[in-house]
Amino acid sequence: MASNKKILLKVVILGDSGVGKTSLMNQYITKKFSNQYKATIGADFLTKELIVDDRAVTMQIWDTAGQERFQSLGVAFYRGADCCVLVFDVTAPNTFKSLDSWRDEFLIQASPREPENFPFVLLGNKVDLEPRGISTKRAQQWCQSKNNIPYFETSAKEALNVEQAFQCIARNALSQQNQNDDLYNEFPDQIKLSQPSKSSGSGDSCAC
Amino acid sequence: MSIIKNEKDYKGKLVAAVKKEVKQVMEESVTRKFVHEESGSVTSLCGAVEACLSQGLRRRALGLFKTSSTTALLHKIAKHSEEAANISRKVQDIESSDPNRKSSSSSDSLTLKKNLSVQSAGPPAAPKYLWIRLALFEKQLAKIIDYLVTNAGKYYDKDAVVADSDYGTILSSLLVGPCALDYTRTKTQDHFWTDPPADELLQRHRISSGHSTPPSARRPMLNFRRSLNTSAEDSTNNRTSTSHYAKDYVESLHQNSRATLLFGKNNVLVLPVNAPGTDPLPGYLSLHQSAHNLTIKWTPNQLMNGFAEEVQDKSVYWDYALQVRMDEIVYVHCHQDAESGGTIILVGQDGVQRPPILFPKGGHMLSFLSCIETGLLPRGRLDPPLWSQHSGVSTSARKKRPLPAITETTKDYVFRIIDNADKEILKRNELLDTKTPLPSRVRVQLASSSTSSESSTKSFSIDAQPAPESPPSVCIKAVCDSMKRQIISRAFYGWLAYCRHLSTVRTHLSGLVNWNIINGDGADEGITVQKWSELCVEGVVKDSNEVFRLAYFGGVANELRMEIWPYLLRHYKFGSNIAERNRLNEETRLAYENRLSEWLAVEAIVKQRDKECQAIAIAKLSSDSVSVDQLPQMQRDLSNEVFEAESAYPLHNSFSNEEDEHDFSIHHNVIVTDASVDIPSGGSEVNLRHPSLNSVNEEERHDNCLETHGLISSTGVSPVSSNGGIYTVDLLNDFGEILHKIEKDVQRCDRNHWYFAGENLDKLRNIMCTYAWEHMHIGYMQGMCDLVAPLLVMFDDESLTYACFCHLMERMIDNFPYGNAMDCNFANMRSLVQILDSEMYELMLGQRDNTHFYFCYRWFMLDFKRELLYPDIFSTWEVIWAAQRVASNHFVLFLAMAMLETYRDVILSNSMDFTDIIKFFNEMAERHDAAATLRLARDLVMQLQLLIENK
Repeated sequence: MASNKKILLKVVILGDSGVGKTSLMNQYITKKFSNQYKATIGADFLTKELIVDDRAVTMQIWDTAGQERFQSLGVAFYRGADCCVLVFDVTAPNTFKSLDSWRDEFLIQASPREPENFPFVLLGNKVDLEPRGISTKRAQQWCQSKNNIPYFETSAKEALNVEQAFQCIARNALSQQNQNDDLYNEFPDQIKLSQPSKSSGSGDSCAC
Repeated sequence: MSIIKNEKDYKGKLVAAVKKEVKQVMEESVTRKFVHEESGSVTSLCGAVEACLSQGLRRRALGLFKTSSTTALLHKIAKHSEEAANISRKVQDIESSDPNRKSSSSSDSLTLKKNLSVQSAGPPAAPKYLWIRLALFEKQLAKIIDYLVTNAGKYYDKDAVVADSDYGTILSSLLVGPCALDYTRTKTQDHFWTDPPADELLQRHRISSGHSTPPSARRPMLNFRRSLNTSAEDSTNNRTSTSHYAKDYVESLHQNSRATLLFGKNNVLVLPVNAPGTDPLPGYLSLHQSAHNLTIKWTPNQLMNGFAEEVQDKSVYWDYALQVRMDEIVYVHCHQDAESGGTIILVGQDGVQRPPILFPKGGHMLSFLSCIETGLLPRGRLDPPLWSQHSGVSTSARKKRPLPAITETTKDYVFRIIDNADKEILKRNELLDTKTPLPSRVRVQLASSSTSSESSTKSFSIDAQPAPESPPSVCIKAVCDSMKRQIISRAFYGWLAYCRHLSTVRTHLSGLVNWNIINGDGADEGITVQKWSELCVEGVVKDSNEVFRLAYFGGVANELRMEIWPYLLRHYKFGSNIAERNRLNEETRLAYENRLSEWLAVEAIVKQRDKECQAIAIAKLSSDSVSVDQLPQMQRDLSNEVFEAESAYPLHNSFSNEEDEHDFSIHHNVIVTDASVDIPSGGSEVNLRHPSLNSVNEEERHDNCLETHGLISSTGVSPVSSNGGIYTVDLLNDFGEILHKIEKDVQRCDRNHWYFAGENLDKLRNIMCTYAWEHMHIGYMQGMCDLVAPLLVMFDDESLTYACFCHLMERMIDNFPYGNAMDCNFANMRSLVQILDSEMYELMLGQRDNTHFYFCYRWFMLDFKRELLYPDIFSTWEVIWAAQRVASNHFVLFLAMAMLETYRDVILSNSMDFTDIIKFFNEMAERHDAAATLRLARDLVMQLQLLIENK
């Protein structure tokens, strides 16, 4: 059932410098990969309209600088986010190690209403590269320990799992928003979020 | 009983949902000038219509069992209805063109379909109302639904919405509006999303207004709230202004922030006074309530959006449109007759009748009157009241009774509009005037309680108000008094605003520019080769002022940049001779190479460690994948660190430390006996790449190591080994991390520029690492590469670039994280915008915490390096450097301001919020006109200088 108002989903992509945040975002939206991206300074965002569970939504994806860790840019970028996407590079263990601090800092800065249930999605990017530094299991364990964060292994370069991952991100963001304004739902037909079918991509454990 | 009521409710809700979506679409068509076929509101509208149509459908009787039975219904009625047949054929065409989607599900168009099929995992998504969409785009939807409504008995249950005598008609008539709109799909698939890209915005701006409004510079903030499209230039009689006016007018008919829409009815007939001989025209009648008055508007259908017939010249209809302010109206005459819904004639204070308004049947006149009555409250009322009340004793007996005979036979009524407020004021004035002069306290109160705009309207309404109770002389006196008060208060507020404005200038902005104004006479050419030969006498440049002045106003000739930039960056001293500069160059080179050799040694160790870590990690990974299942769950869940963090320290010959895995507080020392020997692979590489290193004195190097070491090591570990440098683990870790960061960013820095295609990236990396090594407390931060790159491209000399970069960083470092300059910049921008462009300031005022200025972040951090192409970076940077001496220490602020002003009309006319502006400027990167921006920035500096000087 169509909703009455236009839905804007705000998604923030975080992760260490060089893990491929900009590439993932651009791959998802423009379906192209470029090796010409420069290090992101400040923040940029792109928007995309899509249909999630029969509802037209606009997803606003914020790409952030990997090195800045919130100090410089105000919390304005993170405030009101509906979903936070954490990205690491599967060939660089360091980038996996800093996930905890990214997650913590996001929760502090964005201060969502229910930090325990705030939707995160983890993306292990660059699976097209060898050698692997972080195993799928390792990443899945981390996700389990954080209240079952959905995990996708992606390659922005080869467009692997990117679409699926962002579908999951959109759905989680939407359900987050629904929870927040359930009270204002005035239309007779309630929106029911169906269980997403499990995508068959490798390492996919979307548990949303 | 309750079930019936519930059903009624439900039907009401269904129709209300359609109504809401229709409103949404109509609004979108007005505000965005077009509706995109794939717009979310179209989908929502189709969904709401689908819901109505499916409710109470006689599926079984009609044999409709498919998932989307409304589509089947369409095919069914195609036999009887021409419109339906047309749409039905199109639906089948589309479905047959795509064998994958045989069902009636999924989206409307090929582009959208592609997207959806990619997006949706698994089976195709639920119906996306294909036929409804098509019917809407083909403008047939209303007719099809009208057919369904008239023949509802055949297809629908008795209690269906469509079969409902009221709701059915409402439903079909609701869709007439959306069916009159034009839907476009001009955008390509890349621009599937709704936000228009920067290109489109600029293009639209160029189309919509051939002229641009000049920045409202140096204007005191008296006239804020100036509306965007009706500035003085627009009110001239050219073609564009009427279209602007028309757009504004149509937008004003909708509910907006300034006025509440109390009543709206279409197809109300009016016989315009200035159109003799024509029949009454149908049009849209609306009643708007703003803070100060009530306005009745009537607009001929020909002017409304989506009017079907193309009218050649609309201007004549603009003359017909009505706009009546209720405070000019004294009497409302109502005539009722059997045939029509009634006529209302408004009579003004001057006794002149406004054109009669003929309502269609159905109680619209009554509801219009009651809306007027509500709208007049609390300041005015209708006399006699429309809703008279029985003076019953019990509350239950007191019921509202509509005007006695409004439903009965033909009868005429006359209502007088009584303005409560004005009468009170008049009464009071009368009272006061006859006795003593107005006490000053009351006077002040009156003056201060009226804002300028309100007061002007008030005064005129008082003026013309016939007040039979008071003699006309009193009336005129009161008017004169109030006008006098208003003129004085207006002048006072104007003066006050100007004073505040100037005080803002003084307190916030006086520090932003140099106070003495240096003129740019004859400096337009900048430093040409000839000028330089005059300035540089026998290799000595003395007149630094002239160099800066010329560079600021005209830039530097490209072939001279290599020579002049070091002066501008304060690396070369003015007045130095060639020999001195050569010596300086030589010293710079030696110092640079020393630093280089130091960190290269450390890098070698770091690389070795990395290699071993990786080997361990891979080994562990392979074992991990085998043994992970056998490990107890708990143990794995709790340990969150990654292998290399806990990995043993590299077992290098002299690194004999057995790491304690979990205790990093213990400081381990790594003793390097001789880097170039002990570390074979890294060391030899170093030597190959930098033969000059071999000439560096070994002793000196060790001294340097220790010196640096002493400076940076906060751990206090500095035992000196007789035969080598000592690096703490902390130092190695820190520098290792820095190296990794640099590596990543250098790889990504301007790789599309020819200069960085080859090994020049190594030079960039060397400079970067040297800087980080020498400034370990700063380290490396993203953005530094961008600042080095243009210098390196210009000089193509590592040591000179390094020295100049260090000078550059003295100014830039505060802009980086940990520095506080960025916040100051934002605050200064805020003040600048306030002074130089009050209209823009209004737009940005919403964000109290300077959030609105984040789009400047990258500009300030990198001196616009990312915004411009290389040749423009060169010409912009030298002006920024020169500006420090000539005009302003904060020239970047004025550049930013110039950038903002260049696109001000686009920003203002689209009312961009801070996210829109960020997106806009990110998309505009490397496409600005640098020369024009620089010119404008210099003008802005001059403006502010003059403003400050002219105290």
